[in-house]
Amino acid sequence: MVILQVPLALLSAFNSIVLAIGRQIGWIALGLMVFVILLQVVMRYIFNAALPWPDEAARFLMLWMTGLVAPSAYRWGGFVAIDMIPDMLPGTVAKVLLLLLTFLATLILIVAIGFGWSHTFGFGGNFNSGSLRIPLDWFGGENIRVKLRYMYASFLTCMILLLFVNVELILRQIVLLLRPDTELPDDGAGKYLAATSGPDTVGGSVRVD
Amino acid sequence: MLVWFLPLFLVLLMVGMPVFFALLFAPGALLWLNGQERDVALLYRNVYNGMDSFPLMALPFFMLAGELMNRGGITTRLVEFSQALMGHLRGGLAQVNILSSILFAGLSGSAVADTSALGSTLIPAMEKNGYSRKFAAAITAASSVIGPIIPPSGIMIIYAYVMGESVAALFLAGIVPGVLVGVGLMIMVRLMADKYDLPKAERIVNKGQTITKREDWISKVLLRINLGGVLYALYSLISGSLTLPAVNGLVVFAVLLVLAHFIIASLRGQVSEDFRLVTKKAVAPLQTPIIILGGILVGVFTPTEASAIAVAYALVISFFVLRSMKLSDLPGILTKSAIGSATVLLLVGAAVAFKTVVSLSHAPETLAEYMLGLASDPLLLLFLINILLFIVGMFLDAGPAIIILGPILGPIFLDMGVHPVHFAIIMSVNLTVGLATPPMGLVLFVASSVSGERVEAISKAILPFLAVEVVVIFLITYFPAISLAVPDYFGFVRDVDLQGPLLNRIFGG
Repeated sequence: MVILQVPLALLSAFNSIVLAIGRQIGWIALGLMVFVILLQVVMRYIFNAALPWPDEAARFLMLWMTGLVAPSAYRWGGFVAIDMIPDMLPGTVAKVLLLLLTFLATLILIVAIGFGWSHTFGFGGNFNSGSLRIPLDWFGGENIRVKLRYMYASFLTCMILLLFVNVELILRQIVLLLRPDTELPDDGAGKYLAATSGPDTVGGSVRVD
Repeated sequence: MLVWFLPLFLVLLMVGMPVFFALLFAPGALLWLNGQERDVALLYRNVYNGMDSFPLMALPFFMLAGELMNRGGITTRLVEFSQALMGHLRGGLAQVNILSSILFAGLSGSAVADTSALGSTLIPAMEKNGYSRKFAAAITAASSVIGPIIPPSGIMIIYAYVMGESVAALFLAGIVPGVLVGVGLMIMVRLMADKYDLPKAERIVNKGQTITKREDWISKVLLRINLGGVLYALYSLISGSLTLPAVNGLVVFAVLLVLAHFIIASLRGQVSEDFRLVTKKAVAPLQTPIIILGGILVGVFTPTEASAIAVAYALVISFFVLRSMKLSDLPGILTKSAIGSATVLLLVGAAVAFKTVVSLSHAPETLAEYMLGLASDPLLLLFLINILLFIVGMFLDAGPAIIILGPILGPIFLDMGVHPVHFAIIMSVNLTVGLATPPMGLVLFVASSVSGERVEAISKAILPFLAVEVVVIFLITYFPAISLAVPDYFGFVRDVDLQGPLLNRIFGG
């Protein structure tokens, strides 16, 4: 058991830190998205001078928000699934089934990371984005054009983080399968839920439906 | 061969694989088995491209706006306003619950938010008033499905994006069906009030409330501008048919504004001080749907811009008018909204990738053949499809269900001549009602956790209301005018057959 529990504790601690950073960047990105779009509305309708970059900048932020925050949702069981059949099965069978499905997810993520790598670092990622650049000329330098790969990397990052979470979930499931009464390392869900859920939301995140 | 990805997908879904992974695994595995490895790479890119979209940004923004409104304490105001209007009726608080849901639907696009926000204030109040807890929870859950039907609506944004429809058209098409669900529920409550002798309630709960000077002024001004706007719309309608002398629009509006002021001034004496105050306090929150829909209708904003403005408005209201929020609340709200939207955005990306494989596989054609073999009558097929949607809705949340079924079922019915916007509304309403159907209805679980009542008890108590909603679903299905008349009037849909197959058959098409 120690063979499993030590890596689980390490991986869990690692994920807790990385995902917490991701969530911090995520909420700031969401705030910036709103700001950027409002800026565009104001410039277009009040000053009649639409800016070229806000649309693309907002999409850039949205992609990174998704990539960095979604793994937290996966870790805390926020990915929608139908649990009716697993709920009906006897405990051990359900656990084995869950483990099997999580293995399949690992397979998907590994394949996706492979594609993501060539998507991000391949030829296409080399192109410049339509309108985004880092305005170093404000400081006397030369503008750096944002490459498409800086956007593509968001989804690759997402897949990599999901894989970390996925491995952690597998370890948790195996430990629980072997010794159901083991105390598992904290995944931060409880603390997060206590801090954020009021009477107004359930499960710690806003629901679309 | 490729067509087998659908059954594989269904099996994976049923045994509990997260929808996101199932959407990728099933088509990916079969493409790979088929030797189409290039297309597997395409699958990855399509997920990314599916998320990289400007129109889709309306989703996180509306979710954030709803959350801000929710935290800002506006729920109580909506409930008090509804109660001032309908509380004195028999079954008053049940009616208030429904009316609050209709009003709340204009601010938020989510049934879950509706149930948890309204449930936490109304269920205890209803219990105190003499209702059983399960009845209170059931009417809260049943009326919450209006949330995603009346705009703004999260699932409609998703559907419009995945299926390439106009968000604005879908939003407009949802207004009448949403109100219809509400009215249907109200009629049901009225009938039950006679039978079970449901109690009345006070119209004003908290007498002698106060309002800040600033909010008082803002409400006064907003109310007059809105009434002026309504009068102006009437004026443009009339002046279109009559030949009135051409006057500058601003001058006309100014005159109508003065008229609006006198109308309100003459009405204000007829209601009590408390009633006026409760109404005043509801003005600022209820301005949100007017801004969103008004902006989209006039063509000033895209839905994405409208959603960002809704966020800004919610911020201004909760920080400066209601002063109900602190700056330190913001990170939590943003994080919560970010997590919620990230999961949905990933799903949407996966659905876009899934859709490309659906069309590659010719699955809709195969399915269409099969379905036409079952029945070739469009009326019967629409009936069957509603049954199918209803069953799916029992087990799957509305958001995932609509992006999975849209690409598969949409093309079949469009071929049969069902208008895409009409079909979108059929799907949205049916799957949203599915959120409140046992055994796996999401809002039933939310209502249960808010009220502390068992899911089974709520499931039983909700049945009469579900019956009403099923009737409404069939009305919407067979009378396209219910959903299409509004977008048609404003020119957001084209080539509309408002009569639909049923009336055409009765009266001859």
